[in-house]
Amino acid sequence: MTVQSPPAPPQASPPKTPGAPPGDSWVSRALAALRHTPGQLRGLLTVLVVLILGAGVTGMTAILGKSAVIEQTTSQSGRLSVAALQLYQALSQADATAASSFLTAGTASDTVRITYQEALRDASVALTTAAGEVETTEDAQLVAEIDARLPVYTGLVESARTFNRLGEPVGATYQRQASTLMRAEMLPAANTLQSNAIGDLGEARDDAASFPWIAAALGVLTLGVLVWSQIWLSRKTNRVFNLGLVGATVAMIGFAGWLALSALASASHTERSHEEGADPLELLSEAHIAAQQARAEESLLLIARGEDGDAADRYAEQMTQLTGEGGLLEQLNDSFGDDSGLSGPLAEADESASAWSDGHDEVIKLAREGSYSEAVDMAVGEDENSLATSFDQLNEALTEATDISAERFVGATADAERSLSGAAAGLAVLALLAMVCTAIGIQLRVAEYHA
Amino acid sequence: MMRQKIQFATAAAACLLLAACATPSDPPPPDVEVPVPLPEGIDFDPDLSTEPPDDSCDPLASYRPGSVTAEEARETLAEPDLVRIGISQSTNLMGYRDPVSNDLSGFDIDIAREIAERLMGSADAVQWVPMTSSEREEAVNSERADLVVRTMTMNCERWQEVEFSTEYYHAGQRLLVQSESGIEGLEDLTADHQVCTGEGSTSPGNINRLSEAQPVTVPDFNDCLVLLQQGVVDAITTDDTILAGMAVQDPTLAVVGEPFSEEPYGIAFAKGNTELAQYVNGVLEDMIEDGTWAEIYERWLATPLDQPDPPPVTTTYQD
Repeated sequence: MTVQSPPAPPQASPPKTPGAPPGDSWVSRALAALRHTPGQLRGLLTVLVVLILGAGVTGMTAILGKSAVIEQTTSQSGRLSVAALQLYQALSQADATAASSFLTAGTASDTVRITYQEALRDASVALTTAAGEVETTEDAQLVAEIDARLPVYTGLVESARTFNRLGEPVGATYQRQASTLMRAEMLPAANTLQSNAIGDLGEARDDAASFPWIAAALGVLTLGVLVWSQIWLSRKTNRVFNLGLVGATVAMIGFAGWLALSALASASHTERSHEEGADPLELLSEAHIAAQQARAEESLLLIARGEDGDAADRYAEQMTQLTGEGGLLEQLNDSFGDDSGLSGPLAEADESASAWSDGHDEVIKLAREGSYSEAVDMAVGEDENSLATSFDQLNEALTEATDISAERFVGATADAERSLSGAAAGLAVLALLAMVCTAIGIQLRVAEYHA
Repeated sequence: MMRQKIQFATAAAACLLLAACATPSDPPPPDVEVPVPLPEGIDFDPDLSTEPPDDSCDPLASYRPGSVTAEEARETLAEPDLVRIGISQSTNLMGYRDPVSNDLSGFDIDIAREIAERLMGSADAVQWVPMTSSEREEAVNSERADLVVRTMTMNCERWQEVEFSTEYYHAGQRLLVQSESGIEGLEDLTADHQVCTGEGSTSPGNINRLSEAQPVTVPDFNDCLVLLQQGVVDAITTDDTILAGMAVQDPTLAVVGEPFSEEPYGIAFAKGNTELAQYVNGVLEDMIEDGTWAEIYERWLATPLDQPDPPPVTTTYQD
């Protein structure tokens, strides 16, 4: 591309002859070649190959990208959000059961103690999983903050238990301080970790559900150029069909169809995974956590011997969030009450939550009247009418609904993954086929000119 | 052709380099402070007045028993066959639920039981109304409770709100410390010492006025014991009765120093209900005379306070 002489005035430029442009650039050589049919054919071939290649590469990348995103929802960000959710739930449960178990200590009904130990194990496992999956400094910090507090929390709970068994009232204060640590520092951190992970999942959902517009546009454009080329060629050569180009057209139709179908199918499965899976899961987990925290506050009220007005307020706050107007259970019933799988457990959850709420008022009345032992019996006893029974039923119903939704989420995600399987390879083969057919079809015509 | 390849290679290399720079290097390890569990509402630097307490009245002077009968006193109750008594369920030795039996126990409770028995003819005709210290005035005036027996110090401000009985116990503010701490009284406290006490009581004002130590207030004084056991604070200050209830739960703690305030405990009634106050004053006089009072003291406070003889109780009347 070295230019040694100044550009000649346009009038002086001699008519260019093919094959003999001494010292001229390849651009002008190519332009010159395009004035003749063989050159035009070669130019057309180049355009078609570029278009097919473009459609093929963008289509493949889009499909591979989607697969990767869907896989990520079942792996990294998926695992992190599941771990964060389990952590949040396990911590809430640990707090609720530690408080109830404090009230039942030493009695035969101290089975909550085992639930407490299980909740602690679940929290530790979830913390370890989350620690392995976090990718941002903020999330790592959150995991470390919770991790550093867990042993302090359990230490306080065990001190509370020991003092209580020794008959020292300071045990109640230790239990309250453990709950304060959990409520004021650990649960908010777990909540933030969970919302971060759910945010990542939402982004992944949008990516997985998006339509590969560039690849589709390139595919359609390629088809258009292919059809136009065939019309142009049939005029030029007086032959109706160019078999190579017909083959390429068929391959490209297959390409565009496969691309559109697989993208739409995976998008609809992804949507389903959220509407039937992730959305109820999120509401259910919030309901679960609100129930656990209300239960913890209820026990704290009794542990503080009715002398902690803040616990009553916090209980009311959690309970309103759960059962109030527009609360979590109402939202769940509005959205999923007609769902054949979820309606049963949701109705049961509703019923046991209102039984619990009514019973709570009775417990508070007993406690305020000084019938403390009766209040404790009703709150944590094993009786059929006890709040512990209603709470357990609510817990079970929510767990059942959670299991159903989780199964659906996994199923729909697997479907979305399956609808994309083989699509990338298939698209590549079709694009390659279209390219080869085009090349053969056009080269045959070019060869005719040289024959 | 060669040139294009070189350009392409350069572009690719540039992309890779950019990508490499965009990837964050290993993040620093998380930085976590040592977690110290603190109760909600703790204040390490409370805003306290140094004004001396209002002594415009004689807080000990109540109403002479006169000839008010139990029947007349019962007529002042909201429900004639039930007396509702406001108490604490969380003040060890004074009014608390025994953690093992869940029964109400303590000095205040036994005093209240004795009053109920003489007023109603039976200690079972009682409804216990648990309440926090800040609810006491409101409870008697709103008829939630007929009387309140809950480590309540009589002072001139409170006399404006409620009626009081005569003094039924004479407490004083002291210090609770680790036995090995070297603190033996108010004079050993320096500005470096943090002293925990319940907010809203007279204790933080007293310690602020009488020593250089930094008062730390918490909503519930029971939190102070946990803070002292965990080494967050150096001492606890409040009424010696409450401190004794804490000291018996931990053998490494000791109540030290001389009392540095007067805390005359009285039973509170609704403002204007002097008849009930008169009757209860009569009961208190009888209890002191017939030895019931000394028995209750012996049962709950003599050993924990290490004072075999009870602090003298002053009975004075304003009329």
